[in-house]
Amino acid sequence: MSEILLSIKNLNVEFKTDEGIVHAVKNFNLDIKKGETVGLVGESGSGKSVTSLAIMGLIPNPPGKITSGEILFQGKDLLKMSREELRKIRGNKISMIFQEPMTSLNPVFTVGNQIDEAIILHQKVSAKEARKRTLELLHEVGIPNYEQKVNDYPHQMSGGQKQRVMIAMAMACKPDLMICDEPTTALDVTIQKQVLELMFNLQNKHGMAMLFITHDLGVIAEVANHVAVMFRGDLVESSSAKEIFNDPKHPYTKGLMACRPSLDKNPKRLLTVETFLNAENAKISDIKVEYKVEKETDDEKYPVLLEIRNLKKYFPIKGGIFGRTVDEFKAVDDVSFKLRKGRILGLVGESGCGKTTLGRAILRLIEPTAGDIIYSGVNLGTLNHSQMQAMRRKMQIIFQDPYSSLNPRMTVGDIITEPLEIHNVGANKKERYDVAQSLMEKVGLKTAHLTRYPHEFSGGQRQRICIARALSLKPEFIICDESVSALDVSVQAQVLNLLLDLQDEFKLTYIFISHDLGVVKFLADEVGVMNKGKIVEYAKASEIYKNPREDYTKRLLDAIPRGIPVRG
Amino acid sequence: MSIKSGSLSAHAWRQIKKEKLAMLSLFIIVIYVLIALASVTGLLAANWSKEVGASYSAPSLQHIFGTDIFGRSVLEKTIKGTEVAISVGLVTAVLSITIGVFLGAMAGYFGGFIDEMIVWFYTTLSSIPTTMLLVAIALILGKGMLAVYLALGLTSWVSLCRLIRGEVMRHCEREYVQAASAIGGGHLRKIFKHILPNVSHIVIINFSLQFQTAIKSEVILSYLGLGVQGRPSWGTMIDDSKLELARGVWWQLAAATIAMMFVVLAFNILGDALRDALDPKLKGKS
Repeated sequence: MSEILLSIKNLNVEFKTDEGIVHAVKNFNLDIKKGETVGLVGESGSGKSVTSLAIMGLIPNPPGKITSGEILFQGKDLLKMSREELRKIRGNKISMIFQEPMTSLNPVFTVGNQIDEAIILHQKVSAKEARKRTLELLHEVGIPNYEQKVNDYPHQMSGGQKQRVMIAMAMACKPDLMICDEPTTALDVTIQKQVLELMFNLQNKHGMAMLFITHDLGVIAEVANHVAVMFRGDLVESSSAKEIFNDPKHPYTKGLMACRPSLDKNPKRLLTVETFLNAENAKISDIKVEYKVEKETDDEKYPVLLEIRNLKKYFPIKGGIFGRTVDEFKAVDDVSFKLRKGRILGLVGESGCGKTTLGRAILRLIEPTAGDIIYSGVNLGTLNHSQMQAMRRKMQIIFQDPYSSLNPRMTVGDIITEPLEIHNVGANKKERYDVAQSLMEKVGLKTAHLTRYPHEFSGGQRQRICIARALSLKPEFIICDESVSALDVSVQAQVLNLLLDLQDEFKLTYIFISHDLGVVKFLADEVGVMNKGKIVEYAKASEIYKNPREDYTKRLLDAIPRGIPVRG
Repeated sequence: MSIKSGSLSAHAWRQIKKEKLAMLSLFIIVIYVLIALASVTGLLAANWSKEVGASYSAPSLQHIFGTDIFGRSVLEKTIKGTEVAISVGLVTAVLSITIGVFLGAMAGYFGGFIDEMIVWFYTTLSSIPTTMLLVAIALILGKGMLAVYLALGLTSWVSLCRLIRGEVMRHCEREYVQAASAIGGGHLRKIFKHILPNVSHIVIINFSLQFQTAIKSEVILSYLGLGVQGRPSWGTMIDDSKLELARGVWWQLAAATIAMMFVVLAFNILGDALRDALDPKLKGKS
């Protein structure tokens, strides 16, 4: 088992950009043994995906170029192989699973056809035999009703099922090495757990090696024997999973471990990677964590700010020739709760449980079907359009995707001052820009960046811009809709800390919507667990984690990666 | 990695500047526009109807494109034709884009009954063969420039309207538009400040394509005798040369087609370069 399957030696990859040459990977060395899982960890832009593309020979040239190094696969250098030789290895001996299952399957072919194709491409078998193997594979990756599902099109399957199909496709030719590039990042935690388990089992059964790329150390702990940590193109640490988790050496690794909210302890603020990188070696041991004091949730001193009574949102399902409404989809089904001032309510559930619809219905971004939303004594349902617009000053929302929630054609300054302009705050543009400048400082961005456009910022920075925009009208209440889900864990910690800092400073009340119970547990005072449009469990955050009543809640809790290495 | 500062349009402009062929096309178009302007103001070809030489004299140094049946300079007629072509292209493109963007944005943004009405209107319109419609409009309004402008402008907005409608619908779902409603922005602000700038690339690309389509359509209309009257246009020149060709007089036909070919080609190349530079869906596929 200790035979080396893939060996990367002194790999250097450069990209030519408008601003000059970027070294994406610098002097990278890594060995993958037969049957072993190697985790490659790093934040976006650290060069981990570039490394995997280099192995597959998929670096786009130009602008990318492998300047030196060798990648030995079973003793042969992949970089020196001809296109034809490489094609025989790719998909056959080495296969790859991508992050986005929605876009890596071809929407116009059935999943069966796509797996058949992968088999026929590399093995000389008849279509009938290929289909037989396809069925076996689908069974193996745990697709229910696989005999019918084989003829389904990708859009008829859920995200988790599509990722299973991708795994089946990657497994089709019994590869020696499987490269998984963030295979579970786009999935809910519950589905992530199932997919990880599946990969773990398949690997044990077939004894293939795996290179598992992710930004999340928690996930790595579940699968990897060996962990390599990349930071800005450099390999900063590489050792066995046990060693990395029990005794991380590099400050960056230490930071990555600390920045993930854990389930057992509840710090006041999360430690960030920066804390560790900035600290001198000797001082790392001095880094202390302050723990949170639980706030009273039904304290009479704190008035109820928001009350939701029997809120419902149904979407009609149209059918028949005349497009009549044949049924209703109950996205939010009879939800009630109270939220006190200065508290954080966490709404948790899998995708499709109605948590996002609930958030938007509260702000009347979509009109609720029935029910009352009472915000500091005012029933929002009774307000007309202009009264509601005035109310929006007090209630804000921060969206999930920092890439699509900023208008790409407006400068950051215009984006942040737009709410002020709409509500006639500030006498002129200059005054509004002064407000924007102070907001930029508050969210930790440079004031000089007000003249830039959103595409010049990273995901985390964009989310800060969204927060600045939400804060510009000095709201009392903010809904955060999966606001950190699209971010790397290290960036997520910074944004979560920022949200808490801002809460202290402006006395904000939040509803925090997320599929990740770990994040919600860190942030929220009370938690509502949603399933199929209903709140199935509602309790104090600490209660829910100690004594979950519903099976559904227990499942969600179980799915959170613990960050304890399972393999040595 | 920092990306060079500047707006998306500044970015696109930098990219177009790198494309030599696109810049050459732009240069050609500018020259055509200048010629048209000079012709309108009377600096060029003011006396196009004057007899300058013998009937049907072949191209020579004196008359670069030769003369026509009445001994008029074909060069000056071509210049006069450029004026017609550019003005038809411009007016038609502006007209069709105004209608297309307005109706498309209304249909896509408001949806429901408004959308149904607009879709019904343009599907009805587009179910009539375009040339028949052009003939009908030209006949009703009487022959002349105005008829050409209106006939082309009123029939060419449908495809743009469809595109804009779909794009606006897509953008309405985007979170930045929802964010605009969350901060209390009204319909007009959302449409004009947020959505339309984000579909402007379609408008720009479409403008360059409409422009050249209109030029070609004008030529066809004039050739059929439904277009401009009493003044030269490329279409009437080609129409004239039907009989001339039999006598070996090729220069009038050549002058008109070459003039048309260059401007249409330039618009096509520029249109493609604009699409490459502006369309966000093609980003990263260099």
